[in-house]
Amino acid sequence: MALSSQPTLTSSLPVRREPLVLAALVIVWSLIAALVGLDTGESGIRLFALGTMLGVAFLAFSFGFASGWRLLLTTGNSMPMAAHFLLAALLASIFIPVTELQLGAHGAAAPLSWSLLIGAFAFGIGMQLANGCGSGVLFSFGGGSGRMLIALPAFVIGSVIGSMILPAVLDWGQLSPFLIGSDLGAFGRTGLNVGLLGGVAWLCWWLGHRRGFVFPRKLGIAVGIIAILCALVFVFAGHPWGITFGFTLWGAKLAQAGGIDMAGFAFWQWPGPARALEHSVLADNSSLMNIGMLIGATAWAALGGGLRKQEWPNQRQLLAAALGGIIMGVGARLAFGCNIGAFLGGTASGSMHGWIWFVMALAGSWVGIRLRPHFGF
Amino acid sequence: MPILRAPKAIFLITLLLIIGLVITDHMTSPTLSATAAPSELGNACAPCGAPCK
Repeated sequence: MALSSQPTLTSSLPVRREPLVLAALVIVWSLIAALVGLDTGESGIRLFALGTMLGVAFLAFSFGFASGWRLLLTTGNSMPMAAHFLLAALLASIFIPVTELQLGAHGAAAPLSWSLLIGAFAFGIGMQLANGCGSGVLFSFGGGSGRMLIALPAFVIGSVIGSMILPAVLDWGQLSPFLIGSDLGAFGRTGLNVGLLGGVAWLCWWLGHRRGFVFPRKLGIAVGIIAILCALVFVFAGHPWGITFGFTLWGAKLAQAGGIDMAGFAFWQWPGPARALEHSVLADNSSLMNIGMLIGATAWAALGGGLRKQEWPNQRQLLAAALGGIIMGVGARLAFGCNIGAFLGGTASGSMHGWIWFVMALAGSWVGIRLRPHFGF
Repeated sequence: MPILRAPKAIFLITLLLIIGLVITDHMTSPTLSATAAPSELGNACAPCGAPCK
C-alpha cells in the first residue's frame, strides 16, 4: 500500500534534510498552537498536536486507503484491506463501550440515504483517479506531492458543491441511522461489532495468505500507532476523527470571502455548519486537525528530504487529480465523510452507514480503476 | 522562472498562503472557548450536522 512518491521509513536514498523548512514549520506550528491555546486552551492544542502526529504517522508509513483497495481489486492482495479492518476493529473496542456507557465521547452515525449510496460510489471513483482518499490527499499534499497540489483544491471545491446539494439529495429519501446490535447492551454490541470487523480483517488476511501475500510488519506497527492516535482524538474531541468537513469549511469561507453568500444555502443554516462558518477555522475540530496534519506531513517530508524528490505528473494525470478531487469532494459531502470519517468512524461506531459506505466506495473504486488507463496511469 | 517548475516551490508558496489565510480568518472571526464539531449542535443526525428527519 505504499505510495511510491512518498518518503518512507525504509528509504535507502541519502537523506538531505531541509533545516530552513523545518525551522519555519516549528515557528508556524508554535504560532498556531499559541493562537489556539489562547481561545480554546489545552483541548485545542491537544487536537492540533494529534493532527500533527497523524500527519507524520500517515506519511511515514505511507498509510493510504486508495492504493490498498486498488491492490485488492487488481492483484487480489487483501493484506492492506486486512489492516484497514483491523484498525476499525481496534477502534470499535473503544468507541462502542465508551458511547454505550456514556463516558463522554460518542460514535459517528449517519442516515441510510440515497445520498450515502451515490456519494460513496462517487468517492470511490474519485479516490482512484486522484490516487488518494481524504487522508491520502491531505498527507501527500503535506509531503509536497505535485498531484495533490491539484487534487486538494479540487477536493475543496467539490465539497463546497456537495454542501450546496446535500439537503436536496437528502430529500430523495433516507432512513434513520441504524446501529448494529443496538439492543444487545454495551458489551454485547461491542462484541458483535468487534467480531464482525475482526472477522473481515481475518478473512482478508487468510485470503491474502492463501495467495502467497505477507502482512508486512511495518503495516502492523502503523495500524497500532494510528489506532492509538485515533482513540486519543475520540477521547479528546468527543467524537471520531473526521477530515472532509474541514475542507468544506475552508471552501465555504473562501467562497464567502469571494462574495458568495454561503449562509444562504440550507446546509450552512443547519446549526453545526452555521456555527463553524461564523467562527474561526481553528475552532472547528476537523479544520484544526487538518492544519496540524499538513504541518506534520510537511515536517516529516522535510526531515527525510522528500520535498526535493517530488516531480509533476504528466498533464493527463493532473487532469485526473482535478476530476478525482472534485468527485471526491462532492461524494464525501453526500456520503457524510471519507474513508476516515465515514468508513473508519462509521464501522468502528457500529453504524450501518459505515458498512454501506465501504461497499459502495469499493464498487466505485472498481470503476475508477478502469478509468485510470484513460488518464495515462 | 525555473524554480516555479518544481512542485516544491509551488507547494511551499501554497502552504504559506494557506497558513496566512488561516491566521487571517482566525484573527478576524469570533472564536469559541472550546473547539467544536458540527454534530454537537441542534438535531444533528450525521457528523456534518445534517438534521434528523
